[in-house]
Amino acid sequence: MPEIRVTPLGAGQDVGRSCILVSIGGKNVMLDCGMHMGFNDDRRFPDFSYITRNGRLTDFLDCVIISHFHLDHCGALPYFSEMVGYDGPIYMTHPTQAICPILLEDYRKIAVDKKGEANFFTSQMIKDCMKKVVAVHLHQTVQVDDELEIKAYYAGHVLGAAMFQIKVGSESVVYTGDYNMTPDRHLGAAWIDKCRPNLLITESTYATTIRDSKRCRERDFLKKVHEAVERGGKVLIPVFALGRAQELCILLETFWERMNLKAPIYFSTGLTEKANHYYKLFITWTNQKIRKTFVQRNMFEFKHIKAFDRAFADNPGPMVVFATPGMLHAGQSLQIFRKWAGNEKNMVIMPGYCVQGTVGHKILSGQRKLEMEGRQVLEVKMQVEYMSFSAHADAKGIMQLVGQAEPENVLLVHGEAKKMEFLKQKIEQEFRLLPDAKKPRLLHGTLIMKDSNFRLVSSEQALKELGLAEHQLRFTCRVHLHDPRKEQETALRVYSHLKSVLKDHCVQHLPDGSVTVESILIQAAAHSEDPGTKVLLVSWTYQDEELGSYLTSLLKKGLPQGAT
Amino acid sequence: MDPECSQLLPALCAVLADPRQPVADDTCLEKLLDWFKTIADAGSSLLLLQENPCLVTLLCPVLKPQDLSPRVLAFLLRLAGILAAQEDCFQHLQQGDLLPRLFGEAGPLGGAAWTAPTVRSGWIQGLCSLTQHPSALCFLAHSGAVDTIFSLQGDSSLFVASAAGQLLVHILGLSMQAPAEGHPSLQPAHWPACAQKIVGHIEESLRATATPQVTQALNVLTTMFSHCHDPWTQVLWVHLSPLVACLLEKDPVPAAHSLVDLLLSVARSPVLSSSSCGLWDTLAQTLSRLRASQAGPLALGILKLQECPKALRAQAFAVLLQPLTCVLEATTQAPGLPGSSGPGLQCGVAAIGPVASSEACAGRGGDPTDGELPLAWPPGSVGGTADAPLTAGMLLPSKAACVGLLCQTLAHLELLQPLVSGAPACGGGGGAWPAPTLPLSQPQRPSPWPWAPLLSAAVTILRLCNGSATPTSDTGTHLCAFLAGCVRVQRAALDFLGTLSQGTGPQELVTQVFAILLEYLTSPDSSPTVLKKAFQATLQWLQSSPKPSGGGDLEPHAQLFLRELLPVLPKRLCSPCWDVRDSGLEFLTQTVRRWGGQAGFRHALLASEVPELTEQLLRDPESYVRASAVAAMGQLSSRGLHIIPASPGHPGAQQKSLLEELLHILSTDSEGFPRRAVMQVFTQWLRDSHADVAADTEHFVARVLRVASQDLDWEVRAQGLELALVFLEQTLGQPSSSCPYAMTPPAAAPPSLVAQALQPFCRVQLFDFAFRALFDCDRPVAQKSCDLLLFLRAKTASYSDQQGSSSGPDVASLEAALQRWQAGDQGQPLGDLEPEAVVAVLRSLDLEGLRGALAESSDHAEQSPLSLLQDMLATAGILGENEADCY
Repeated sequence: MPEIRVTPLGAGQDVGRSCILVSIGGKNVMLDCGMHMGFNDDRRFPDFSYITRNGRLTDFLDCVIISHFHLDHCGALPYFSEMVGYDGPIYMTHPTQAICPILLEDYRKIAVDKKGEANFFTSQMIKDCMKKVVAVHLHQTVQVDDELEIKAYYAGHVLGAAMFQIKVGSESVVYTGDYNMTPDRHLGAAWIDKCRPNLLITESTYATTIRDSKRCRERDFLKKVHEAVERGGKVLIPVFALGRAQELCILLETFWERMNLKAPIYFSTGLTEKANHYYKLFITWTNQKIRKTFVQRNMFEFKHIKAFDRAFADNPGPMVVFATPGMLHAGQSLQIFRKWAGNEKNMVIMPGYCVQGTVGHKILSGQRKLEMEGRQVLEVKMQVEYMSFSAHADAKGIMQLVGQAEPENVLLVHGEAKKMEFLKQKIEQEFRLLPDAKKPRLLHGTLIMKDSNFRLVSSEQALKELGLAEHQLRFTCRVHLHDPRKEQETALRVYSHLKSVLKDHCVQHLPDGSVTVESILIQAAAHSEDPGTKVLLVSWTYQDEELGSYLTSLLKKGLPQGAT
Repeated sequence: MDPECSQLLPALCAVLADPRQPVADDTCLEKLLDWFKTIADAGSSLLLLQENPCLVTLLCPVLKPQDLSPRVLAFLLRLAGILAAQEDCFQHLQQGDLLPRLFGEAGPLGGAAWTAPTVRSGWIQGLCSLTQHPSALCFLAHSGAVDTIFSLQGDSSLFVASAAGQLLVHILGLSMQAPAEGHPSLQPAHWPACAQKIVGHIEESLRATATPQVTQALNVLTTMFSHCHDPWTQVLWVHLSPLVACLLEKDPVPAAHSLVDLLLSVARSPVLSSSSCGLWDTLAQTLSRLRASQAGPLALGILKLQECPKALRAQAFAVLLQPLTCVLEATTQAPGLPGSSGPGLQCGVAAIGPVASSEACAGRGGDPTDGELPLAWPPGSVGGTADAPLTAGMLLPSKAACVGLLCQTLAHLELLQPLVSGAPACGGGGGAWPAPTLPLSQPQRPSPWPWAPLLSAAVTILRLCNGSATPTSDTGTHLCAFLAGCVRVQRAALDFLGTLSQGTGPQELVTQVFAILLEYLTSPDSSPTVLKKAFQATLQWLQSSPKPSGGGDLEPHAQLFLRELLPVLPKRLCSPCWDVRDSGLEFLTQTVRRWGGQAGFRHALLASEVPELTEQLLRDPESYVRASAVAAMGQLSSRGLHIIPASPGHPGAQQKSLLEELLHILSTDSEGFPRRAVMQVFTQWLRDSHADVAADTEHFVARVLRVASQDLDWEVRAQGLELALVFLEQTLGQPSSSCPYAMTPPAAAPPSLVAQALQPFCRVQLFDFAFRALFDCDRPVAQKSCDLLLFLRAKTASYSDQQGSSSGPDVASLEAALQRWQAGDQGQPLGDLEPEAVVAVLRSLDLEGLRGALAESSDHAEQSPLSLLQDMLATAGILGENEADCY
């Protein structure tokens, strides 16, 4: 078993400021760099002192990976890169790269709104931080350096969220970030191939919960909004700039269309255009339905949702307003709340978490008399609703992912200790991850006998320790293919065919004309006797024996006519 | 304690003690502890307990820890520690036998709750708070807690293990306080029992064969020598240093990183550094025993010491320079100079340096002697001392090792470069130990600082990375293969190169620097991050370029370089990567700001495509780039550089269109960054009396304010007010200005004059914006407006004194509007205002009170203990899934 060291610098057994340090095969990778919005002092950031005492950050860390744009996963990034001094690469998906600065700006505003906020990053720092970002595509194997490679998988949860596989030699870790195993209104379900990592680090927010269908929650939400609007009330939905707001917008837009409702829906701070822009830009990241209907109708071009002007809040009659910030502690959402709070016909729907001390937290805990500035008391008569729309995998989903990836070990993070204990038992029970003495297990390794010591180590380590060169054993096979075209064209046809068939694998067409699928190499050569036939030379390592056999059998069936 | 809080406390304690009641947010308990700590620090804890007996009742459930959640249990342990920090309160809790049952065997220790790291952490933190007085030490001795702390040093939780080490240091420090004051020379054998026990444990750990144990001991000692500077620490070091020295005899040296930290903390201790206690020997030995990557941080630490023998500094510097020496050897064109023992030795390097000569090198042995000319490289940098391992061997085992060592070395030297230049590093000492120490008031960089060879090394590394270096040895060939295209090394080398711009040296080297920078800026292989660093380094070198004696702003080489660079810039401004376009624009803005008035530069810039491309980037799809383009265009325009030769009939056509274009961006851009950038440019233009603005300032201000006041971005609104303030200052004069041309109403100005002075502001609708902004939902905007109106009121004070109270119809309608705005209504604009009404309203408004309220912000409610208690009570029992629902 290779040594993989995992140090949670935050969100080990709680939620907020996710930050996990993984040391694997001599490489150090930081997974997420989040902040805790419940604190105003140093406690809001992960404890980086563990890393800083290992010398210069940039020398110690090989890379930082950000799973998605939520602040509890990326909020400390500008602080870490521009103030603590990390100068290396930061990997994230393209949508996360685009949306991250917006969320960071949103949070910077919150910080500026508070007094005595020192040590907080500036706009320039956010930009400089984003310049260190290397954006990755899904399923693209990115070579961080000669030994370290990473690969992103779709995670659902929010636009651009990804799970990452980190691989050094034969050792690998998969980090899920936050993920969702069931599709929602705008995103698909998380998916990973059978990559069999040594370790799977998975979130466990809902470790003990089997969540009710999201459809039920959506129905509830629409029913409540509809009722409030029907009785002439105004509905306030405090949200953060991007993310859940778009999902709720789609929900309301569709409902308004279906029910032919006339009450206006507004989205504050002019973010609709920006959101639309990103959702259009990254349409491939949304779910199948949205992608399919995109050409006829873009789901993010809303007919009923209009930009909000401050003067609209005083308009008579019902309306629905999405306003920032999401915790009702300052800004426009609080201003509208103060205006509407006194009327029992109105309603506020909190679709997310609020930290202690904020107005959002207070009203959610049932407080009805709030002390505002200058000892003024605000009486809350409006209806207050909490609706969770967070998209995390539940216990069933987590088990499903473990089943998909088939890891050797599972590490639960981003959840509560007690709940984790329960899920741990379930996973052990179902997948028997713990070594069972009675169960025979197949091990590949090398036994080193030295100074009357016996050690079983991986082949790579043994070679390294003994200073031996590695001899690659490759299986080879020839496949004859009837194809009168030139060799290069045959190779291109093979590439197109395999690319369409092997969606889960990395199929590449190299400049020298050969085609690779993982370690499998395919070269097309002319037949010495028959010019109408080409010979495909296929070779593969013993690790990919299964795939190699499958490929040769596939190629023996010939190429489809349309493959060019 | 606030009576309102005191009233709520019993109910909260009941909630906390009830295991069926989950506690709300996981931050609440932390904040509650902060509050108790503040109260305890400010007064008597005993009084707090007596006035709030519910707190004692609260601590009792700990006796049944299995019933409590780990979070609450940990909270109670920490609370008990905070309260018992005062001796009388400690005695009070002891009388109730509470403390032994909290922190002793009868408590959570050893029970099921102990498996939770939170509880173990709470136990340690509680004890750490409590250990403040002799009674606490007795308690620790009798409860057996110290043994538990020893075992927690190896805890599976990193944070628990670290806290356990810190607690040991704390206990040792406290137990030594009393006896050490009078008898600093006491031997550890005569120290208090508790201290002896801890020291014994450290000794045992240092002798252990297992590295983790050694690491624990070294970390404890590091913390201790860093924080405690009492005389007894010297005795302790004398006692333990042989054991530490023994570690150096092992192969490999165990816990090298922790050992370096310890030695540096000892060396930095004011108690120990004055009398070395064999420390310098140990440091020298450690430098020679550790691998290059481990020795680097130690060498840097030694060079940053305020007091240190010269010879040791020389050795440390040599260690730091080794990798660069190796690089230079591998690429030098003249290896194997006379006197050197083969290719790639010291003289090959020294020949490149500005000071050393090959003769000087040839005549030198490994050790320096007094009075000799200093060398460019200190002695022993390569093969000079028997201890120094061969650097080439360290660089070559693998690409990762080579890259890691070079990056580390460059970063370390980068930290030394800005230090003040010091006394010669290798001029004295004769290499004999112990050497006389060099007292320094502050850390100094080694002297002579081999600026030229360092520069040469940085350039060579960059050449190796881009493939333009010519290796002259096998090592060089290997280095080429390792470093080709290595972004990490390129970044580090460019950073270092930038820092070296502060030095002076031969012109041909500076020419080489500009040449390599140009290569990087031109090369299509340069990655975006490398390009950004190359731009930064270029700017640093241009700025530090000496001014020519005959006038002008740039010396000829730099001028030439800048001219060569300008044709490169368009390519970067057209890059498909947004960050490259942005870095290019940022560079352009800075160069124009600095050298925009220089004829040669102006000519080259206007002849290039740069201004045109910059103008095009105002419509870039990426908002960051649009914002940078706005800043660049603003700067170009200020310098009269954006004019693309226009038709003679319309000389100002381009200028005018830029103003319109920026106004268009301000009104229509969907993202905040470009709009903010426009406001910054406009404010600067107003300050500098830009030609377009000066043509009709009032019209300009009116148009800008109209758009900015409606903006949804708070920063644009705030900057709109900043622009308004500049306009006010320019019209009325600075608060303390004595500008003879400013239109300042005199002390007893006639009303007509003041009204006249305020008319322009009324015309540009400044007051409508400012009064409305006073109640803006974003606090910084309201604060800015408050400051602006206070400034205005000060300016018009004398006038309003004369006027008395005003109560015209205008005043009434304005006051009514203000009330509506305060209530959150937006309503219609005010329309035309009379200056008299403005002055009257300014006088009646409680601007100071408003400023005070704004300064308090929402923190007033959010951070008050009362709010915390109310929230915790309100949340009790209604918890659902939302607890974990962070996004």
